[in-house]
Amino acid sequence: MKMLVVFEKKERLRHVSHLDLMRAMQRALRRSGVPIAFSQGFNPHLLVTFAAPLSVGMPGLREVMEVPLSAEISEEEFKEKLRAALPPELPCVAVRAVEDRHPAPMAQLFAAGYQITVQEHVEEILAAIPSLLAKENVMALKKTKSGEKLTDIRPMIYEIKRLDESRFECVLALCEAATCKVELLMDALAAEAGLEARPRYLAVRTQLLGKDFIPLELL
Amino acid sequence: MKVFSADRLERLLDTVLKPSRYTGGEMNAVIKPFDQADVTFAFCFPDSYEVGMSHLGIKILYDIINRQPWALCERAFMPWPDMADAMRKEDLPLFSIESRTPLDRFDIVGFTLQYEMSYTNVLEMLDLAGIPLYSRDRQNGPIIMAGGPCAYNPEPLAPFVDVFQIGDGEEMMVEAIACVRKCKQEGLSRLDTLRALAKIEGIYVPAFYQASYNNDGTLAAFAPIDDAAPAVVRKRIVRDLDSAAYPEAFVVPYTEAIHDRIVLEIMRGCTKGCRFCQAGMLYRPVRERSLETLLSQAEKLENATGYEEMSLSSLSSGDYTHLTELVCALTERYAERKISVSLPSMRIDSFVKQSLEEAQKVRKSGLTLAPEAGTQRMRDVINKGVTEEDLIRAVTDAFESGWSTVKLYFMIGLPTETDEDLQGIGNLARDVINAYFTVPRSQRAKGLRVTCSASTFVPKPFTPFQWQGQDELPQIREKQARLGDILHQVKGVNFNWHEPELSMLEACFARGDRRMADVLYAAWKNGCRMDGWTEFLNYEGWMKAFQDCHVDPAFYANRVRGEKELLPWDFIDAGVTKAFLWREWQKALRAEVTPDCRKGCQGCGLKRFEGVCVDR
Ligand code: SF4
Repeated sequence: MKMLVVFEKKERLRHVSHLDLMRAMQRALRRSGVPIAFSQGFNPHLLVTFAAPLSVGMPGLREVMEVPLSAEISEEEFKEKLRAALPPELPCVAVRAVEDRHPAPMAQLFAAGYQITVQEHVEEILAAIPSLLAKENVMALKKTKSGEKLTDIRPMIYEIKRLDESRFECVLALCEAATCKVELLMDALAAEAGLEARPRYLAVRTQLLGKDFIPLELL
Repeated sequence: MKVFSADRLERLLDTVLKPSRYTGGEMNAVIKPFDQADVTFAFCFPDSYEVGMSHLGIKILYDIINRQPWALCERAFMPWPDMADAMRKEDLPLFSIESRTPLDRFDIVGFTLQYEMSYTNVLEMLDLAGIPLYSRDRQNGPIIMAGGPCAYNPEPLAPFVDVFQIGDGEEMMVEAIACVRKCKQEGLSRLDTLRALAKIEGIYVPAFYQASYNNDGTLAAFAPIDDAAPAVVRKRIVRDLDSAAYPEAFVVPYTEAIHDRIVLEIMRGCTKGCRFCQAGMLYRPVRERSLETLLSQAEKLENATGYEEMSLSSLSSGDYTHLTELVCALTERYAERKISVSLPSMRIDSFVKQSLEEAQKVRKSGLTLAPEAGTQRMRDVINKGVTEEDLIRAVTDAFESGWSTVKLYFMIGLPTETDEDLQGIGNLARDVINAYFTVPRSQRAKGLRVTCSASTFVPKPFTPFQWQGQDELPQIREKQARLGDILHQVKGVNFNWHEPELSMLEACFARGDRRMADVLYAAWKNGCRMDGWTEFLNYEGWMKAFQDCHVDPAFYANRVRGEKELLPWDFIDAGVTKAFLWREWQKALRAEVTPDCRKGCQGCGLKRFEGVCVDR
């Protein structure tokens, strides 16, 4: 049996690195007293996997991890125990028990939703959204293993929606085949708005999505 | 005026190294409404977050203060230099981790003084908080307190700190904050609050004392100038460690601390009587925690933290009466939960093979041994009651049990040292290597690694060596080079040493008087801070400070002091008497050993404290 856990990484913890977050979660699971499975071998560790690491500096509202269990436990009991073992800035939002053969969340990941608060050149950036979306190609310099590569990110932008005077929402590709980071979108918007540099902004990852844009934890 | 703003802080955090040092939100951090507490205490560790979060004392006192429903304690650390500079540029005041409250809004700002080379950080933190550095310039704002082992010679910090706490903090801290609360409620002035504090046993208020000097620069007199201040400040002792408060939860950092694990303080104090060791003298007498208490503390801490490692802490864990039972019980209980148990500060003369094997069941970390000196004569001088035979038996046991990494700690520059003693270090290292090869190949682990580490001897107050001078820098460098040559000839040994400049500065502060405060201030003005970090040590800044203040470092570091000289810390009663220390110093010069006082009282002076030193 495995448990899919949806948790929030609040703004105060946005600088906690993925590695540190993994360690914090493992310790939380240990102190929670839920029946967790250990790896075999000389230096045993918990078998926890995360759907997608969050970049340093970014909070997440509905992050997903998978916890293999060594014994049966009800969703309610698991959630209650984990809730008590987590600090207030890292609450457990939901859990879902699945079979061992349920595909790993990481393998089902397709895209992610973000909410972005623009903190500089707000008007220009927000005004550039419709014209960016109207384009057929949006070329951006993408960092790859072998250096930088000019890539068309337009197909990786699924949606951009303005929310109010300073914020917008977007859905961007996030999977092995294609990933568009928020920085790239912000660079493209800045270029579209005729700005020299990417403006300051705060991005929050609001959701992880699988096929047909269904939230990962519901697949 | 520095004004805090969360928005500006967030902006800064995007630009500095390891921002999660400053953001808190850790498991078990105590969050209380700031404005509802009668007394607020900012517990400051004058070094980085990672170092401070590894320290046991802060965990104990953080817990004790927060246990009082009317008090609040939050943490603050020395920002890394990039952050410190950015904060200064932005005029952002130093703030507490929990509620991000600027330090100058607290009733008390308290520093723990673990090593002398953190003193510039104390000044830097006060300045970053916008708090005037000198006590005399503070008419209002927080009372600045300090405690910890370095507070036993508080004089180099005397003009900056309002109140020192000398000795065990568990009880004294509660009395001190209760006193501040009462004074606040009664609306007493700052001066009267300090007077009330000075009446608490263990508390030293430097402004109430005056020092005068002889023509040769030595101390002529030191006496109180206020009726509230006692002539002798007596250290505090927690008589019953077993019932003393101990945290049931540790704050679990996100970013990895240097020591990131559960710590069980199995006992306090040490009676071996090593003559160079300040902790061994300061923390007397020996007090143990019971097996039941420790097992219950372990269980509570494990459930509250989820740590994967547990370590036993004391000055000499091998002497703990129930060591074997404790290690067995812990390994048995926690093996299934994959928690390893480690025993640091193991002394070779108390090596217990059985507990070694128990510990190893879960994880095999490197073995650390501290023979401290290379020849038997030298070890007799420092009263390290260890023979070469003990050492070789210990490492052979360890090699047989599958260890292959050994670290050996030595000191150079000890009193009466000769070239033969340096040679002795090489011989000992060779014997350790030979011991490995006497263990049958099938029984020993592969990959032998022996490291010899040589630090420079620093004479410390309240030790029998407090009268001794430190070697001068050229001498130390010569000895280091010589030892390097000797160890170079021993195949398979790594050699490392400490910066001698740092040890020299440490010696100046360890036995400094109030005039060292000027040097400290000048050095800080020259940009010195984070001196304990090799990459930040600004030796030129320090030398310039000595020159500008017309202070000769040799007066403090290298001068041999006489029996009759009034020492700057003589007004503190640390338990051990000056007469005992002098006796030990004379015995040292004759290479005469003093046995562990568990086998018979040596009359060190602790018996003067009622009920603390019980004959067994
Ligand atoms: S008073 Fe005697 S028994 Fe107690 S610590 Fe001192 S020497 Fe040891």
